[in-house]
Amino acid sequence: MSDTVMKPAAAGGSAGSGRLYRRLLRRETHSPKSGLAIVLAVIAILMLVYVGTECVLRLLGQPALLVAPARLAQAVIDAPTYPAGALIAGGIVAAVIGVALVIGAFGGGRRARHTLPGSRAATVVDNEVIASALARHAAKAAHASADNTMVSVSHRTAVVRLTPTSGRPVDRDAVVRAVDEQLASYEVKPGIRSRVIIREHGKVGA
Amino acid sequence: MNSTNRGANRAVILIAGLVLLVAGAAAVAVGAVPQFRDGWQQRAPEVQKTVTGWLYQTPLGDSGHSWLWIVAAAVALVVSVLLLVFILRQGRGHTRALLSDAPTDDGRTIVEASVAEQLLADGLSGRPELVSSHVSTYSVRGTSVLKVSVSCRRGVSPREAGRMVEQLLLALDALLGSEVPAVVQISGGFRVRTAGSTRLQ
Repeated sequence: MSDTVMKPAAAGGSAGSGRLYRRLLRRETHSPKSGLAIVLAVIAILMLVYVGTECVLRLLGQPALLVAPARLAQAVIDAPTYPAGALIAGGIVAAVIGVALVIGAFGGGRRARHTLPGSRAATVVDNEVIASALARHAAKAAHASADNTMVSVSHRTAVVRLTPTSGRPVDRDAVVRAVDEQLASYEVKPGIRSRVIIREHGKVGA
Repeated sequence: MNSTNRGANRAVILIAGLVLLVAGAAAVAVGAVPQFRDGWQQRAPEVQKTVTGWLYQTPLGDSGHSWLWIVAAAVALVVSVLLLVFILRQGRGHTRALLSDAPTDDGRTIVEASVAEQLLADGLSGRPELVSSHVSTYSVRGTSVLKVSVSCRRGVSPREAGRMVEQLLLALDALLGSEVPAVVQISGGFRVRTAGSTRLQ
């Protein structure tokens, strides 16, 4: 099944090319988490620049921009005198964000993409494209409008929701067959199972 | 594709998360656990005294200030610059070179990436099943890799689109006399949703 990596590239040889393609596919199907990391880095830079500025102002004997370092330290020392409710609420908010970030740091970060087999290139396809292609074939099999066919594709499943045209019964088996046939022909990895849901009530003039 | 250091991204997120988690847990503990609050009240002034002691022990000439302030400002500056470098290094890794043979007695042949990019873009531009396409070249671990991004129209089979791009890549191989590793990305997106579907069999 791993025929994405069968043909060696000119540069590198067979084993090296297989490793290269595996790496490329993994990087294409997983998020680099750059956005989050950049936002956090920017916040950290702003805080560090502020602290650095206060340090230099303190050294030059100038008045502080917002709070002098000593008063900032005093504010932390005085923490037990603050109302317990505010401390607990603020602490819980910070801790929850912290836990979310830790989970984000270790999480897979999988993108909504699948890989396609190919002999020449490593190919990735957005779930959206698979859904749109399935919608066209399901609508055709049901004799319904493509606009009344909603398909959502996730990592392992494709859910087809069809609203039939009033007065035109839908052959459910034909839709299931058409969808499964299409899915089989795409050969995406990981494989997708289909689920077809046909609305009981049709829509007029669709 | 690009040379973004994903481990570094995760490390930055992890460190930020741990800092927030520890600070939040400390605040909750001070607010909710009496022993912890008492401990804080006892220990915090001691820590403050120790730090103040350091500041007095490190005078800067006769200015009356401590040189530790300079150290603190310098550390803040250095870490800021490192973080800035970290941000600017995201998403890099493009290359201009596609192939470069070992030099011979008569000279050396270098094929620029734009050759392949323009040939592929030309082959893709007339396709009715595509809304748009883009070809770029990245250097991945010393190897030049072509990245072909195509946006299909609504309803186009991804397998067919993939085959079509592969055919173009095979034609490129024949032309170059060498096989450049390639990644094909088939995507939808906003332009696909707003553009019409094409007539398909």
